[in-house]
Amino acid sequence: MKGLFRVERMWRPRGELKRRYDVVIVGGGSHGLATAYYLAKNHGITDVAVLEQSYLGSGAAGRNTTIIRANYRTPEGAQFYRRSLELYEGLGAELDFNLLFSQQGHLTLAHSDRAMITMAERAEVNQLLGIDSRLVDRDGVARLCPELNLADEVTWPIMGALYHPPGGIIRHDAVVWGLARGADRRGVELHPYTEVTGIERSNGRVTGVRTTRGEVEAGTVISATAGWSTLIGDMAGVALPITTHILQAFVTEPLKPFLDVVIVSSQMHVYISQTDRGEFLIGAEIEPYTTYRGTSTFPFLEYSARHTLELFPQLESAKVLRQWTGLCDISPDYSPILGVTEADGFLVSCGWGTYGFKAAPIVGTTLAELVATGKTPDLISPFALERFYRDSLVSELAAAAVSH
Amino acid sequence: MRLPPQPNERIDRSAELTFSFEGKAVSAFAGDTIGSALYAGGRRIFSRSFKYHRPRGLLCCSGGCANCLMEVDGVPNVRVCVEPARAGAQVRAQNVRGSLERDLLSVVDKIGGPFTPVGFYYRTMIRPRRLWPYYERFLRSVAGLGRLDKHARRTNRYDVEHRHVDVLVVGGGYAGVEAARRHARAGRRVVVVDERGGDNPGSDFELVAPARAIGIYEGGLVPVDAGGILYRFRADHIVLATGTIEQPLLFPGNDLVGVVLPEAVRRLVEDWALKPGERAVVIAADDRGLDTTDVLERAGAVVVAAIDLRDAQPTRIEAKGRRGRLRSVVVGDREFACDLLVASGTPQPAYSLLAQAGARVEYDRRRGIFLPTELPANVEAVGSVAGELGSAAIPAASFDGHKGRCFVCLCEDVTEKDVKRAIAEGFDSIELAKRYTTVTMGPCQGRLCHLASIRLFAREQETGPDSIGTTTARPPWAPVSLGLLAGRGHEPAKRTSIHHRHEEAGATMMWTGAWRRPHSYGDPAAEARHVHEAVGLIDVSTLGKLLVQGPEAAPFLEMLYPNRFGDMKTGRIRYGVLETDAGRIMDDGTIGRLSDDQYYVTTTSTGADTVIEWFEWWNAVWGMDVEIVNLTGALAAVNIAGPRARELLARVTDIDVSNESIAYLDAKEALVAGVPSLLLRIGFVGELGYELHFPSPYGEYLWDTLLERGADLDIRPFGLEPQRILRLEKMHILVGQDTDSESNVLEAGMPWIAKLDKENDFVGKWALEHVRERGFREQLVGFEMDNGVVPAEGGQIVADGSAVGRVTSARLSPQLGRVIGMAWVRSDLASEDGELRLKVNGNLETARVRLKPFFDPDGERLRS
Repeated sequence: MKGLFRVERMWRPRGELKRRYDVVIVGGGSHGLATAYYLAKNHGITDVAVLEQSYLGSGAAGRNTTIIRANYRTPEGAQFYRRSLELYEGLGAELDFNLLFSQQGHLTLAHSDRAMITMAERAEVNQLLGIDSRLVDRDGVARLCPELNLADEVTWPIMGALYHPPGGIIRHDAVVWGLARGADRRGVELHPYTEVTGIERSNGRVTGVRTTRGEVEAGTVISATAGWSTLIGDMAGVALPITTHILQAFVTEPLKPFLDVVIVSSQMHVYISQTDRGEFLIGAEIEPYTTYRGTSTFPFLEYSARHTLELFPQLESAKVLRQWTGLCDISPDYSPILGVTEADGFLVSCGWGTYGFKAAPIVGTTLAELVATGKTPDLISPFALERFYRDSLVSELAAAAVSH
Repeated sequence: MRLPPQPNERIDRSAELTFSFEGKAVSAFAGDTIGSALYAGGRRIFSRSFKYHRPRGLLCCSGGCANCLMEVDGVPNVRVCVEPARAGAQVRAQNVRGSLERDLLSVVDKIGGPFTPVGFYYRTMIRPRRLWPYYERFLRSVAGLGRLDKHARRTNRYDVEHRHVDVLVVGGGYAGVEAARRHARAGRRVVVVDERGGDNPGSDFELVAPARAIGIYEGGLVPVDAGGILYRFRADHIVLATGTIEQPLLFPGNDLVGVVLPEAVRRLVEDWALKPGERAVVIAADDRGLDTTDVLERAGAVVVAAIDLRDAQPTRIEAKGRRGRLRSVVVGDREFACDLLVASGTPQPAYSLLAQAGARVEYDRRRGIFLPTELPANVEAVGSVAGELGSAAIPAASFDGHKGRCFVCLCEDVTEKDVKRAIAEGFDSIELAKRYTTVTMGPCQGRLCHLASIRLFAREQETGPDSIGTTTARPPWAPVSLGLLAGRGHEPAKRTSIHHRHEEAGATMMWTGAWRRPHSYGDPAAEARHVHEAVGLIDVSTLGKLLVQGPEAAPFLEMLYPNRFGDMKTGRIRYGVLETDAGRIMDDGTIGRLSDDQYYVTTTSTGADTVIEWFEWWNAVWGMDVEIVNLTGALAAVNIAGPRARELLARVTDIDVSNESIAYLDAKEALVAGVPSLLLRIGFVGELGYELHFPSPYGEYLWDTLLERGADLDIRPFGLEPQRILRLEKMHILVGQDTDSESNVLEAGMPWIAKLDKENDFVGKWALEHVRERGFREQLVGFEMDNGVVPAEGGQIVADGSAVGRVTSARLSPQLGRVIGMAWVRSDLASEDGELRLKVNGNLETARVRLKPFFDPDGERLRS
């Protein structure tokens, strides 16, 4: 409460870049800031600079649809995101910043018997790992979300759902700001509007970065740049098996809240939640084409509206206020690429697709541990870039070309 | 009370109508808006604000701000100032506890101020964590503006129309009409879209009104919201004549009811013959604002002061009021009693659509506004949006007063103090400050607060607005309903040409992709048994069907599939599995050679579209002499299966159907009941069977004929569910169910598919070679339960508490009387008769691994 009456700076104004840092983090989004924060907090490594080409949280961190969940399909993914969810639960208190984490529960709808099988599989995998995740039938869906249209005469009748009670939505900007403040207070330097234009290498080792504000030497360079990962990887001479696609979302005007659970339908390519401000926040599946151009499209509004109204016909008169677009870094197996690369001193956090924001705290803790100890934590070893050379992928896709 | 008739008034005084507001009758004239009628009836408070629940009245009167949002006929957040009055409409206030005059939640304004500064919710309610859900419930109970009937269904019909024109003009004001006429004279087809319309423009162009352009999207697409219809305009040339948006001034008390923008005065007087106030003060930065003095005087109001900001900017402006209504205005050291204050800064060109079209937008330091520059080709800006404006003062970023809140953003209740605090806290870029304060993120979409917030921001940062930059102009340009965007919601749903026969037979239908298919005709187990014992008939028209032909058809397929096809004799069939370039199973089906250079390829029902794209993509990459024809819809297909299938087939065709003439995996063309058909002898369901592919229009005829001619053989239709039981007995995989995005044919137990010694390369070959080299990690196997429990598909196989595999299919086989299934297991567990522990409803059950088909392992029945 005392924070209410005292006006305090969240972070220091941007200063001059030093000539050298132990760690340079490229990307001032949720992953970059979380890594900086945990480097300082857990390992006392504070000679760290976070370089961001625009304002803090300007990329995927500020554009995602803020869903947090741990009910993944693979054991590797599920245990990783479970830890992330646990960290998120305590993060607001830890940062002394209310992240407005609304653990309202999360329903992934199934519209076919095959989808029910996938949901059953996820529930089983989750339960083995102690994640609260269960299959509910149609009646169960009706009890959890009576507002949902469960009629039969629709294109995709609802057969059941995967219910994940601890899942929910969070205020994404608050996560960014809270982490930025936490990192700054521990001595990390934040450098918004500082674009990396090149990466210095010598003898297979990354030694520093070139930026629009000058050159900086670094002991370790970490790329946490989501949709731009391939470009940054390229500068370091590291080819990443990633394609960049756009993902779009929109909000409606604020309406009195009635939807108290997150609704996801991968078959209909739509997810719907209602924020604590009353806006309906609606997102889609990635667009099938690759691009770095974050332009919003109209067909997205049309099909998302169509699918939303099939699930919630009562939103017919709700009005779209704003639409936007973000970049997603898609990996071949829909699992992230995390940790060391063939270039010494160059670490990556990428390949997140549409799941990156959910992983911010666990990425921060594990990458920080990797930097501090030089050893890849077990939790993230399945996500090493090397897996594509060993052909041991971690398939978060159920069937080829169907994500969830 | 109305003024005497005005020269251009929009009301028809001879046509009266009545609607209700909060249950009380309100009378209006045709041509009134709900807002003007309420105003005529004496209403001044139209809404309560988002956060502080302060009274708000008409401000812009042009549908731009959030001050007049009400619920009309169950639709929330309607801007009643521009919503036409309709007889019988039910209008209600929203976001109030009590009434507009007495709103209980205004307590937030009175005592909550110090506790609710900008971003207060980030700094409070953090500990104890367990109380947060209760706080949150409270927050949610007061959040939001309008209320939706949460049980409502869709009621309105919306249509979409695609329009192609030479020139599209957005904005039907003077400049827009001028431009439209200019283009029309040059012989171009011109459409003008205008928010109001009403005046008949003549015959040289088409007017679409009232309608609003939603945005300018990729390829120059301009969707237009015309109420019940969505026009998707594509034009060779777009003219933007969107005019300007009047900007409010920032001073304490600037949100009081009675503080208005000039356009509100003009519309109230000239359109609806209403007197905006008795005693007025006008403070304006340009002539257009000051001209309201004349309008007011003509309407009989007394203008007690008119202040031209170009002459001198007062050191102080402060509006004072009681109960939210304006009582007086302090300008400099003088105080004027008044009930109306017209206050406007420099009008800001409405550049959003231009920015969306790709124009640059820059702050013009000399004029104090943002102006579009560097227009893209084919886009033209005319009139005031292009900066053709009279001289105007740049008002101070805010004016001081002694007391009262000074609002930057009325929609979100963001004050000057909030913005200053945000900057002091370090939110020192406009994008960060916008997200932190939520200024510009409310229903007005920044129309009335974008410029003001940037000016204020620049002053506080001691820099020019030009170095602050602007925020992105995101579509839509005006809020647009989901109903309009969704249209009538046609989604593709496919039916086979035999669909009605299944319905008539009482089949339970189910979805498979976009197809509707019979799940069963009542008793799946009996239907499955019947196929083993007699003969069954199933509609398999949903299979993807491709004709691949040309001199290079054989090498083309050999490069696509791991199988070999070049050595196939004409009239033979092979089972093929298609792989991605990473060697993962993508689809499966049969490939029959019809002639030297002609192959007939079937795919799974849901995979057909993907496979066709895949074929065409590789054909484009390789540039081979091959044609691909998609016959999926053109041909229907049925499968006759069971020991009596041959006898039935013999009755309806004149060719020799003996095992010597059509052996297992033979393909033959023949007339079946007079219908030219392709016969494929294959055995997905494990019995003697013939798949008949024939032109779709004969679907019902052939279905009926087969049932009729096979009646004494006891032929019965069977659905998808019995087919799944039958195929499981044979361990035939279902792609997408028994495989996932990482499965390959080697580990899926089909090594004979992959001809790694083929002379040519094939898609995914390197990956399969790699799998062979590294050894198997997991394998797809069959299993049989020790007891009669049917495990859930998707269930886990467990060893030492962790997952070592997963069940992909499981059924009780009525024929075998046992529970059988398929599962992926760690490869050390994949040995015949090995024990598996399956998690079923929380218990561990035992199963045995089976590596050969459960039924007829040697395929004798298929070949018989």
